[in-house]
Amino acid sequence: MAIFQHGSVSIDVDEDGFMQEPDKWNEEVAKALATTEGVDDMTEDHWKLVNYLRDYYLKYGIAPMIRKLCKETGFSLKKVYELFPSGPAKGACKVAGLSKPTGCV
Amino acid sequence: MSKDIKVNDISRKTEQFFHLDTKNLPKLPYPYEDWEDPPFPGVAEVKRKGKDISLDGILNVPVPAPQTEEEKEKLVAAFLEGLRKLLTVENNWPFLKPLLLSLDNCVRCNTCAEACPMFEMSGRAEIYRPLFRSEILRRIIKKYIHPGGKLTARFTGADIDLNWETVARLAQLAYRCTLCRRCAQTCPMGVDNGLIAREIRKLFSQELGIHPAELHEEGTVKQLDTGSSTGISPAALMDLIEFMEDDITERTGLKIKMPFDKPGADILLLHNAGEFLSWPENIEAFAIIFEQAGLNWTMSRELVGYDSVNYGLFYEDVQLARVTLKHAEVAKKLGVKKVVVAECGHAHKAIMAIGDRVWLDEVNIPRESCMVTLEDIVLNDRIRIDPQRNNFPVTLHDPCNITRSMGIIQPQRRIIKKICPQFREMTPHGVNNYCCGGGSGFAIMQSANFPTWRFTVPGRKKFAQILNAFSREELDPGINKYVCAPCSNCKGQIRDLLTYYDAWEKTRILYGGLVELIVNGMVNIPEGFLEWEFH
Repeated sequence: MAIFQHGSVSIDVDEDGFMQEPDKWNEEVAKALATTEGVDDMTEDHWKLVNYLRDYYLKYGIAPMIRKLCKETGFSLKKVYELFPSGPAKGACKVAGLSKPTGCV
Repeated sequence: MSKDIKVNDISRKTEQFFHLDTKNLPKLPYPYEDWEDPPFPGVAEVKRKGKDISLDGILNVPVPAPQTEEEKEKLVAAFLEGLRKLLTVENNWPFLKPLLLSLDNCVRCNTCAEACPMFEMSGRAEIYRPLFRSEILRRIIKKYIHPGGKLTARFTGADIDLNWETVARLAQLAYRCTLCRRCAQTCPMGVDNGLIAREIRKLFSQELGIHPAELHEEGTVKQLDTGSSTGISPAALMDLIEFMEDDITERTGLKIKMPFDKPGADILLLHNAGEFLSWPENIEAFAIIFEQAGLNWTMSRELVGYDSVNYGLFYEDVQLARVTLKHAEVAKKLGVKKVVVAECGHAHKAIMAIGDRVWLDEVNIPRESCMVTLEDIVLNDRIRIDPQRNNFPVTLHDPCNITRSMGIIQPQRRIIKKICPQFREMTPHGVNNYCCGGGSGFAIMQSANFPTWRFTVPGRKKFAQILNAFSREELDPGINKYVCAPCSNCKGQIRDLLTYYDAWEKTRILYGGLVELIVNGMVNIPEGFLEWEFH
């Protein structure tokens, strides 16, 4: 457990930088977490991806399967990696305030 | 340097007992002859805080770092008490006999070391020798458990010092083994060093509460609580299934309604829930094959009934029993004629071999490997396959739990030889296979510096084997090729290995399961079920 601070944002994160209390997520938090993923400028495409993940998570409590994510956002997997270099699970999900993926995924 | 290390040194009060030097790691084959491993990474302060990583500086099991002598003594005493329990039948009825046989019968011939990928691929690091770990345990038992042991220790060679360093490092050593049991396969005395490692893990988990979060809190606890170690709830499952049904139609033109909770079905199919999220094409392929073959089958929507995993197998008996009982209850409630375990290696072992100790009397429901079910379908032409659709180089990875532990070797080969004209074996294979390097839950441990270790040490053997299965010409990135790995855990590890070594770009080796190859060959659907995209 650690505290992540960036500007006015201060949140509890786990050892890998994932949020511990996902309900404290907001756009400011997302922007702050994005800097840890090398994304200093959240573009419209970044938000589209993050918001999709966020909505899915709020509805089902997990991250969606990647195939579904690509289909429903219209982004290829390559594009997802361009937006978040460490990938959908480690990068995009972290910024969207999801917890770390678990199980054999 | 490494050879100077002796078993009794384990109690030495040094900050880090062993340093893995990546310069000592064996060379990789073509086209990786010039591959150089960077120096081994350390663990960030935030991650190592409060944890003991004094064995080799690698973090995968969170062993606490007690601050006072009193705390240390308390933990050592708890360990010793746990060890006493481990050696009594009333506390360890499931595994006491093989444990005692393995503890008593070793003749120190070290045949096991030559069979161990961890030892070989670490550049023969003494601490990763299978015997090193087992010998620590034997000496502790000899000196601290056997009557009069302390008096005779000096003369029996068991003069090991049971301090906190010894205990903490033994816990870490239990997580430097993938439990592949290649050592047990080769031992002339039948000693199972894999079992010893697993029993040490059990002692630490059940008696001291020390276990990787991926296996316990985020594994079995989460599975029993939410229904799956992935966190998939029944509602999320239905959303995923709906997506897959549409996906099947889009890819194949077939309209398939996946059956759920069908009472009295011939088959209850149990998938590793990781497939639903990471490899939906595997779930889809099973549904296509079973429907096209006209089987009377179902899946379950009940908690735990849609996730075949049982990480208890890797680290303790209590959770192992809870999860397997839940699986048995689900099958019993549905009244199915048999359970078929899909492409998940450890679920094979947990539900079949180990499950036999628990699935008794009214829950003694027949259980079958999907390899057998699929063999019946493919070899008896219950679906039509054109092997020319799979006319690219294919090799097969043998998941340890399906092959070495269960003896299921030929069914998957008879299938693959029939449907893949360019199939070739890895060397060695079958019961002599090498672990993917992600066994015993390693593949799902993604934190700190551990992934680098599993890619560069145990995974190195498998990566070399995969490369060696193809000729230099075939390794050209212009040629599609496939490593079939019919196990979710192995797939995760092989995906991560190919990514770490950038092998998709360099050699265009794709990985996946067996059912995807079967469906790719089916003549009544459009060509191209297999998508040559890395994911």
